[in-house]
Amino acid sequence: MGLKIGIDVGGTFTDFLVAWQDREPEIFKVLSVSDDPSAAVINGLTEIASKQEPSLGLSEFLQRVETIVHGTTVTTNATLTRNGAKSGLITTEGVRDALEMRRGIREEQYNNRYTNVKPLVPRYLRAGVKGRLRRDGSEVEALSLDDVEKAIELFLTEGVEAVSICFMNAFINADHEHRAAELVRERMPDAYLTVSTDLLPSIRFYQRTSTTVLNSYIGPILNDYLEQLTGRLGRNGFNGLLMIMQSNGGVMTPETARKTAALTLLSGPAAGPGAGLVYAQAHDQQNCIVVDMGGTSFEAALVTGSPVLVNEGVIDRHRIALPMLAIHTIGAGGGSIGWIDEGGLLRMGPQSAGAVPGPVSYAQGGRLPACTDANLVLGYLNPDFFAGGSMKLDIEAARAAIKEHIAKPLGMDVESAAAGMYRVACNNMAQGVREVTIKRGFDPREFPMVVAGGAGPIHSCMICEELQIPFQIVPRESSILCAVGMLMGDLKHDFVRTFFARMEGLDWPALQTLVTNMVDEGTAMLINEGISQERQQFQVKLDCRYQKQYHEVSVEVEREWIEKADSDAIHSAFHAEHNRLYGYSLEDQQVSVDLINVRLQAIGVTDKPDFREQDYAGQDASAAFKGERDMYIFSKKAFFPVPVYDGHKMHFGNFVRGPAMIEQVTTAILVSDAYDCVLDQYGSFVVYEKGREDLLSPKLSGDQQ
Amino acid sequence: MNHEDKSVETGQIDPILLSVYARTFKSITDEMSLSVEQTARSPILCEAKDFVTGLYDAAGNMLEQTENLPILAFSLAPVCKYLVEYFGDDIHEGDVIFHNDVFSMGNQNNDVAVYKPIFHRGELVAWSAVKGHQADIGGNVPGGYNPRATEVWQEALRIPPVKVYEKGVLRKDVWNLIFANIRLEIVQHDMRAQMGACTVGERRLLDVLEKYGRESFENHKTALFDATRKMMEAEIATIPEGIYSGEGYVYFDGHNLGTKFTIRVTVTVKDKHITFDYSDTDAQTDGFVNGTYTSSASAAILTFLQMVNPDIPHNEGMVGPIDMIIPEGTILNAAYPKATTFGNHLCPPNADAIIRALAPVIPDRVTAGWNNLLASLTTGLDEEKDEHYVDIGFMGLKGGSGAMNGTDGYDHIGMIDASGGILDQDYEMFEQQTPHLLKRHEYLIDSAGAGEWRGGLGVETEFIIGSEDTQLVTFGDGDFEPAFGLFGGKGGTLNEIKLTYPDGRVVVPNNKDLIEGVPRGSIYHQYAGGGGGYGDPAKRDRASLKEEVRNGVISVEAAKTAYGYEESNS
Repeated sequence: MGLKIGIDVGGTFTDFLVAWQDREPEIFKVLSVSDDPSAAVINGLTEIASKQEPSLGLSEFLQRVETIVHGTTVTTNATLTRNGAKSGLITTEGVRDALEMRRGIREEQYNNRYTNVKPLVPRYLRAGVKGRLRRDGSEVEALSLDDVEKAIELFLTEGVEAVSICFMNAFINADHEHRAAELVRERMPDAYLTVSTDLLPSIRFYQRTSTTVLNSYIGPILNDYLEQLTGRLGRNGFNGLLMIMQSNGGVMTPETARKTAALTLLSGPAAGPGAGLVYAQAHDQQNCIVVDMGGTSFEAALVTGSPVLVNEGVIDRHRIALPMLAIHTIGAGGGSIGWIDEGGLLRMGPQSAGAVPGPVSYAQGGRLPACTDANLVLGYLNPDFFAGGSMKLDIEAARAAIKEHIAKPLGMDVESAAAGMYRVACNNMAQGVREVTIKRGFDPREFPMVVAGGAGPIHSCMICEELQIPFQIVPRESSILCAVGMLMGDLKHDFVRTFFARMEGLDWPALQTLVTNMVDEGTAMLINEGISQERQQFQVKLDCRYQKQYHEVSVEVEREWIEKADSDAIHSAFHAEHNRLYGYSLEDQQVSVDLINVRLQAIGVTDKPDFREQDYAGQDASAAFKGERDMYIFSKKAFFPVPVYDGHKMHFGNFVRGPAMIEQVTTAILVSDAYDCVLDQYGSFVVYEKGREDLLSPKLSGDQQ
Repeated sequence: MNHEDKSVETGQIDPILLSVYARTFKSITDEMSLSVEQTARSPILCEAKDFVTGLYDAAGNMLEQTENLPILAFSLAPVCKYLVEYFGDDIHEGDVIFHNDVFSMGNQNNDVAVYKPIFHRGELVAWSAVKGHQADIGGNVPGGYNPRATEVWQEALRIPPVKVYEKGVLRKDVWNLIFANIRLEIVQHDMRAQMGACTVGERRLLDVLEKYGRESFENHKTALFDATRKMMEAEIATIPEGIYSGEGYVYFDGHNLGTKFTIRVTVTVKDKHITFDYSDTDAQTDGFVNGTYTSSASAAILTFLQMVNPDIPHNEGMVGPIDMIIPEGTILNAAYPKATTFGNHLCPPNADAIIRALAPVIPDRVTAGWNNLLASLTTGLDEEKDEHYVDIGFMGLKGGSGAMNGTDGYDHIGMIDASGGILDQDYEMFEQQTPHLLKRHEYLIDSAGAGEWRGGLGVETEFIIGSEDTQLVTFGDGDFEPAFGLFGGKGGTLNEIKLTYPDGRVVVPNNKDLIEGVPRGSIYHQYAGGGGGYGDPAKRDRASLKEEVRNGVISVEAAKTAYGYEESNS
């Protein structure tokens, strides 16, 4: 196995993880280039090549690279900034406004200043055409190709670059859509085309339309980007495999990504949960919570054996009904600004100072106190060792801003105000963790928390105290966790088909045929991507609900159950899942269960880099001791001297008692007085509740050595 | 964990902890709401979200609510206070209480509430509650809307406070008595879903109490009410002191065609308090077009909340500075035993009266008139599936909101008492769950009231009825008087429902009506009107008009006649 590189292009930094076969992985970060993201990729690779011993040229280096896995935010940004392709929609006559109406919701009910989000296709480019199918797929009215032709004429006149086709009830009969598509391909060969049933052949017209349109809107953007990236890499000697991270936590080839651009909307953060799992597995844990706190946002996700998938989500108020990891994002980061509301309550965020002007202490023009400023006042950040000392922090400016905007209005001293900011920020993040755990029926206390992001490990102890989570893992690579995760991703392709049936009297042969066809489709895709049979896996889920319920529950089932027509097994899996999610099931009431959709995930297992285990270095961490610094201790509401350690000098087995601060170049770990810390065999920092040595594997408790 | 010490230092209010409490209460009621949404059966609960979840203190004061449909929202705390008084010291851990009675603070017969007392270390500390609109509640007509009713018993089963669980034990006799009087079995499942959500709320609140202790909870609760009250008082203080009055109109009581009733409000702003006095409102009607105290109070509160900072927390402190005078015997507070099911839908004319009263003094904070509700419900047999269906036409009933200075009205948002909280049926699900075929559901061209800021657009809905012998119930208004414009803005368009039978006959139901025997193949046609405009249409931004004409939501002719806009002079 050769050299693999994970590349995560973020808003501020582009992160690299270089995984060698025979030595420690290397971490690199370069500044992102917002208007030309692939330039940062090349810049970073050039820098990495030059730092090799001996120093290499870019193409010399790239020739040795076997695989690059890449996460990108180009499609997310294009959606958020409304810089997608000029798009047209061909849909059924009479329902062309569904896209814009969004089922008539106003998310803020009492706010009359809150306006609707602009549709991604304006009304004059949404063409209704004659042609209608009934709910069973039979034709009521023939498709009017004349109407399609008229729409095409309009699109050509208006310079439309991307076309979406979505017809009523096409999920059960795609004939009209395919005939319209044929005409569009013929007349607009250069346009990007998305046919709803190719992307998402499942029921719910608005969701399908919205998803189809999003795909077309960002398709050309992703195409251009990939062309540029593959071009640049190719010209510089790369002839390995390039993979793109997708929202479901898997990877795909650029060819697949071109057709299904909407699958990349969570491309950046989607790698985090899978990476978190790898670190948790080092402790024999198959489940974990993964949190990532950066400059402007906080992301939380749950892993139960594998990262938790949801069947749909929302981006900028547009619905997207494609499987994606359940990643909950809130506006809480190092840059989140503290403020006092009209009722005198302290609030943090969601407004962020961002990278520019940044927190007050950056001394780059920021005037409003941010979370980072509070951390500095509390002693949690070292003003002389921020980003490894490359940036000086102005603590006096931070104090002054907190005094003016927080302490004075609340009638308290600066330190208490800073402590309040820290606490409210942590409470917000704890609520974010609740979203992915308690709200989905999981108890957070049962999960270790893997902590990532530059600002994460400074706050994680209080978040965990709030939620009573006794066990945290801070990977050495925590500041670039997503880049790590990119190298952990398997190829993953999701398929969904609507299949209406009542479980009693189910047409099993029809269901078996459907599943077989879906597996065949997945197999063909994986074979096309060079995945041999023994590396192919298939997971089947059934979306079920009780008779007359409106919302379905996705239940994982064994293929064998379907093959053997094992109705009982499917029933009990559904009852159990419903009970777990909502606290009750209707198993005893004998209520009928309806099947709505069949879902299949085709997985192509890829090679993962091995993490090298370190040699046991004993409990003594004194070699890493740097001195003491005064820090605010919450349980005592006062400052006390706290020992500070150099994380880079700590090794497997080293132990420090909380409270303690462990500093690294890209992150700092605050071990509160309720926790202690020990390093595991991969060099991860394991932060556990005092007295809970029982949670540690024998390797870490120091007994056997 | 050693959390007890935190409550020792009580008496003192920790301003930080106060923020933590406020945020936590909100996340609890949100979680309760999600639980109902995901598990309920009736589309009116899980699709239209016609329910409210809340937490209350031991005395029944509101701690926080999630108000999916605001018209129910401000009856939960009054009912909770009533329960505390009603049961006195007979409230125990494990009790579950049902209530819908409109003559003891209930807002509408169909809105049935579940209350669960929360005990911490043996003491009553709080309540969790969920009130939701049930698909049936007994009475003469399935679904509860009986335009012919004159007394409550023709509308519904009355449920004064009753324990269905006592000390954790199901009272099977009581449960069976209630559900023996309700037509649909799904109502039992939906009440179970509401009970489940109350348990979710109870668990979470007990976590908070375990963590911070009872004393800290009580002190911070009081401080939270005070802080919120101050916010609301500060908002009211920005309205010039004075006495203002306005009117709104109700058309047709369901019995006598041509009847019209007036809602008159006198709003007094003084000493950081605002009073809504309905003493001069018309007397109650003989039919079901009557309000209840809490439905009318909710209408006034939700209308006023749209004129203030939307970030004020929803707790007892928020409603403290708002006073209500709604005399019994008026159309807004009918006396026992009058019929009242239409009461929630008196919100739009009530809102009209309040807006008209306050528009002259706070012209930048009011909207023009909103489209009034005109709804329909179809029932029949889906022969292909051999199943009975009931469909409330959510997608068809939602018109546009009124414009305000600086902001156009919101298109297709629905009546003011939902304010965008009710969702359309998904079109494909609609065709799966009814035998109908949807022909059209699009913005209604030229429906928005013209103005410098235009009203929200209404919608046009057309479907082919797919069942033989279909029953259609209509309830609502807005077919006599359109949403009004303000400060030179024009009114929106009228509501209309009509049926075209296969033989060509056209039937136009009254706005509160019951039509039987509608044949298969009939075409159902509905127009939900637009909202009122704000300010002189001649001042409307020309670039916006150009876009609207291009998008076809304002016709070339209307642009010319209503706005004086022509493509050539742009």
